[in-house]
Amino acid sequence: MFFHIVLERNMQLHPRHFGRNLRENLVAKLMKDVEGTCSGQHGFVVAITGIENIGKGLIRDGTGFVSFPVKYQCVVFRPFKGEILEAVVTMVNKMGFFAEAGPVQIFVSNHLIPDDMEFQSGDMPNYTTSDGSVKIQKDSEVRLKIIGTRVDATEIFCIGTIKDDFLGVINDPASV
Amino acid sequence: MSDKGGKGFTLPNGKGVKSTPLKDAPLKDSSAKSKKARNVQFSSQGSKSDKSAPASSKANSGKGGKGDSGIGGKKEQEPLQLKVENELPKGAKCLMDCEAADILQGIQEQMVILSKDPTIKLPVSFDRGLQYTKKSTHYTDPESVRRVLENLKTYGVTDGEICVIANVYPETADEVFALLPSLKARRIMLDDPVNDVLSELAKLKKSA
Repeated sequence: MFFHIVLERNMQLHPRHFGRNLRENLVAKLMKDVEGTCSGQHGFVVAITGIENIGKGLIRDGTGFVSFPVKYQCVVFRPFKGEILEAVVTMVNKMGFFAEAGPVQIFVSNHLIPDDMEFQSGDMPNYTTSDGSVKIQKDSEVRLKIIGTRVDATEIFCIGTIKDDFLGVINDPASV
Repeated sequence: MSDKGGKGFTLPNGKGVKSTPLKDAPLKDSSAKSKKARNVQFSSQGSKSDKSAPASSKANSGKGGKGDSGIGGKKEQEPLQLKVENELPKGAKCLMDCEAADILQGIQEQMVILSKDPTIKLPVSFDRGLQYTKKSTHYTDPESVRRVLENLKTYGVTDGEICVIANVYPETADEVFALLPSLKARRIMLDDPVNDVLSELAKLKKSA
């Protein structure tokens, strides 16, 4: 889910950026460095909403770079174990299906898909119930529960389940 | 002996072979210490496999058990609970998807103005985040939703749980307690407030 938090970072600025636009240059550099990154603790930094405080710059010994401690507010997206969210299916195969919720990829293994749903291969591979009433295919919306997360350098990857109550397909694209 | 010892390490082949070191060990007490040591090692392994059928079934059940505990164990363990506050720095504010949608929309509008500067680009995760929030907005007014759900806080419902309820938009109280097992324990206390909140949210829902 989304959070609004305050983070702090030390920004190094080259002397060529000093001058009357120092603050703007610092903020632009912060946005370039931070937006779109992710970490295990706070997840994806989706957007910076404001700068809370820029501390005094300290000149680094040996170089001309100056280090500014910057406190900024940002919107982050972080998935949690036990969280319920709605994702859009991006790929279906016999091992399970991949879905996307915001910037996060989620994989639901076929072991965590209800037993009455079976994989059907073809042009549009899908999981269907025996009576054909419920189908999971590309672009279906499903409600799933996150049961595990893994953080990479650039992305967060989750494992989910639809085997519990009130989880599963919300919207069948075929019927839309 | 060493050959037998060597064979003794392989489980499927060693059933017959392993039994011989065990039988040998008590008879040949005068054998060299190294052999005894080997025998001790083998006997410890031999004892496991000497109960040959149970051992193989133990091995299988071990593997099966692991497989089962992967799935069945989850049934025995407590259901996964959402514990947001423990993992995030203090001062983090949970945002409902509708609130996040407003914020991100505002930022995107600003970016349209700033986009004259070609070096400033919005990252891919921003676009995906914005699309996701737009898709999942059920409500007309995020502030009223927040006010309605704040009532639940007095009953000890955490911020994270409130946000999940808002994002998922459950239709019945049963759904709420099924999706948030951490609230099940206090169901008696929470049943009425949750029902009230759900009826209020229904009024705030966007007409599709």
